[in-house]
Amino acid sequence: MERRDFLRAAAAAAALSLVPHEAEAQAARAWATLAAPASPDLPVAPLSEAHRAIIRTVADAIIPRTDSPGANDVNVLGWIEVIAQDYYTDAERTALTTGLDAMDALSRQLTQQPLAGLAGAPLAQVMDALDAPTDRTTPAARGYSRLKGLVIHGYFTSERVQKDVLKTQIMPGRFNGAADMPTKGAGRDE
Amino acid sequence: MSDLTSTLLSLGTRQPRERRVFDAIVVGSGISGGWAAKELTERGLETVVLEAGGPIDFGGKDFTEHVQSYELKYRGWGDRNTIAKTQPIQGQCYACDEAGHKFFVNDFENPYTTPDNAPFKWFRGRQVGGRSIMWGRQVYRWSDLDFEANAKDGHGTDWPIRYKDIAPWYSHVERFIGITGAKEGLSQLPDGEFLPAMQMTVVERAARENILKKFGGERVLTIGRAAVLTQNHNGRAACHYCGPCERGCVTHSYFNSIGSTLPAAKKTGRLTLRPHSVVTEVLFDAKRGRARGVRVIDAVTMQEHIFEAKVVFLCASAIESVRLLLNSKSTRFPDGFANSSGTLGKYVMDHHYGSGAGGTFPGFLDKRTEGRRPNGIYVARFRNVTSASKDFVRGYGMQGGSSRGGWGRGSGMRGYGAAFKQSLIDDLGPWGLSVGGWGETLPYEDNTITLDPTVKDKWGVPAARINVTWRENEIAMNKDIIASGVELMEAAGCTDVRPSRTMHPPGHCIHEMGGARMAKTAKEGVLNGWNQSWDVPNLFITDGSAMASTACQNPSITYMALTARAAAHAVAELKRRSL
Ligand SMILES: Cc1cc2nc3c(=O)[nH]c(=O)nc-3n(C[C@H](O)[C@H](O)[C@H](O)COP(=O)(O)OP(=O)(O)OC[C@H]3O[C@@H](n4cnc5c(N)ncnc54)[C@H](O)[C@@H]3O)c2cc1C
Ligand code: SF4
Repeated sequence: MERRDFLRAAAAAAALSLVPHEAEAQAARAWATLAAPASPDLPVAPLSEAHRAIIRTVADAIIPRTDSPGANDVNVLGWIEVIAQDYYTDAERTALTTGLDAMDALSRQLTQQPLAGLAGAPLAQVMDALDAPTDRTTPAARGYSRLKGLVIHGYFTSERVQKDVLKTQIMPGRFNGAADMPTKGAGRDE
Repeated sequence: MSDLTSTLLSLGTRQPRERRVFDAIVVGSGISGGWAAKELTERGLETVVLEAGGPIDFGGKDFTEHVQSYELKYRGWGDRNTIAKTQPIQGQCYACDEAGHKFFVNDFENPYTTPDNAPFKWFRGRQVGGRSIMWGRQVYRWSDLDFEANAKDGHGTDWPIRYKDIAPWYSHVERFIGITGAKEGLSQLPDGEFLPAMQMTVVERAARENILKKFGGERVLTIGRAAVLTQNHNGRAACHYCGPCERGCVTHSYFNSIGSTLPAAKKTGRLTLRPHSVVTEVLFDAKRGRARGVRVIDAVTMQEHIFEAKVVFLCASAIESVRLLLNSKSTRFPDGFANSSGTLGKYVMDHHYGSGAGGTFPGFLDKRTEGRRPNGIYVARFRNVTSASKDFVRGYGMQGGSSRGGWGRGSGMRGYGAAFKQSLIDDLGPWGLSVGGWGETLPYEDNTITLDPTVKDKWGVPAARINVTWRENEIAMNKDIIASGVELMEAAGCTDVRPSRTMHPPGHCIHEMGGARMAKTAKEGVLNGWNQSWDVPNLFITDGSAMASTACQNPSITYMALTARAAAHAVAELKRRSL
């Protein structure tokens, strides 16, 4: 086993201090993979329309449309549904939906309105509470953290973002270990 | 269609004639089998390569290095339900991912057993090309420090060869396959015949200088030495830095047997490649005291065939070759083929790894990488070379790399909205640097492979029972790896340095070795210094099972050099009629 594997293992062990949460998420996914029982091939109920609506609202709050597409423009919800339905274990799916419900409850508590479809100042109030919680162990904070990871991964791995925003080159044809940062908006190849 | 392309396309297809008597049989078409095939055919032998797995379509659907995340259903997270159902062990290897898992075996068709308290991870490929398709391509020569170690500290048996015996064969292999690397003039890590080195990142260059200064030149961080082409070479194209090599490489810019050694063998007109051929037994000719050939089960039809030859090369990978020999019993060899020494299946090893350290490298925020370098950095062994350890014998090398966080850091960052999004697009976050140790393990007699009394594979061959554990020396070395990893990261100039404390179980490093070791006498080992059986002179075993110690360097280039050397010897002996 080689360097890439070590890097992943190191990241999973949070050795890379850059991205502790991503590292934790990776580790959690790795463990979930190991622990996952063989799936029984039963159809899994899709996310409810209410849950879908919450995801749409929060996804666009995290990654709104600017001069580049927003989360819903690249159908982040579609990717999250694939993960929820075909990839997650029952426990993980429940954690996602419970988290969405808790986020909705927080919205009702703070703004007296449901989270789905929220906009403007009330949405900002809920997002601020979710994004910078004092207690990160609440179901709402945990649900938001899970959802945020899904939204970011789904957005940046989408075809439009890879091609038009990051301008990823499949075959760069060279390696430069000391390239200059490109000007803003010029895209970059990671 | 170019010559190379047509040669490549015809590889892996079943040959029309069903000839059964050859000059040479090679079992396995992976890293060592490919070399055996090339050398034996180029030296004039009609050779059949018997490969248990099927052919792969590397020009089309099977090689997926250019498939993008959005073309994958799980966007790179892996089809874990399918993998859990068919590959629960293989799926624990990083390369067995959503795109590349077809290159790994089905765990249920290919079972093995371990004691409950001694887990062993056995990661395997069964296809034409073996694990040369997914390997990490890191290649480091061994030195006299390694070949003399057993003799000097008394662990294991002395190697019958020294560096000077194998050095020309390393060169022979390197010239053919193409290695990128930088010469450093280190006695413990001899330089090879290198193509231009890949670039280090700005951060790695700075770290190298800082480490050299801090440790007075004792610790050397260099660019990885890898079997990847940095310029066109031997009919293969230079790497285009796409990245995920473990899924294959349509341009064969990294060495694998289907792009390099097997086409060379094919070109001689003396190669017969027979996929779907599971070798179950080596047959003994008691009258002549020679291997007569092998018994094969056709993996598709389940029919049995016998193949005969003047010389037999086992290149099925360390554990598979030992399993095959243990399953080949006769009156002369009731405990396994060519096992008069009683050492067959003993002294099994792997490197230990997983621990190290990482940190944030401040500065250089105006710099980034362009292209995905299929290679990392290497810190040459420094323990028990110039500085002695009181806690353990032997040493370790370190591998690692540097990168910036990119958008992946977003889920761990605070923020949302337009500015947050733009920062993930335009900024890459700070640089990170990390290293991890690859440690030498000692040969212990009771680290063993035997045959499981009840479990059999899909083809009815008894499964291997693997009983390998880490001992005090490995555990003490692992501790030192963590401490020196932290020291190195601090010396490099990192902040926020964090140790990584992991010690994967044996096998996980995928450098399994030993089981049919070389030794100076027939009493101490299965093979002599030519990878030739002491008991059965026309039997050669040139995969990792031949190793009498592990050194700390990745081992495959040593298998290649030993294989080429053994093949030359076998042909010379055949010509002298002494086989
Ligand atoms: C992800 C990964 C990364 C790695 N990175 C590195 C690295 O960077 N550097 C390094 O030195 N090593 C690395 N390795 C290890 C390297 O791949 C092995 O050491 C090497 O492939 C061993 O060569 P081999 O010829 O002995 O076996 P293999 O390449 O495994 O080939 C053995 C072949 O024999 C066939 N076979 C087995 N049994 C039978 C049978 N009974 N009958 C017929 N055929 C049979 C198999 O199907 C297979 O094709 C890595 C391995 C993996 C999987
Ligand atoms: S060797 Fe180079 S071209 Fe081939 S898969 Fe790896 S990165 Fe891509």
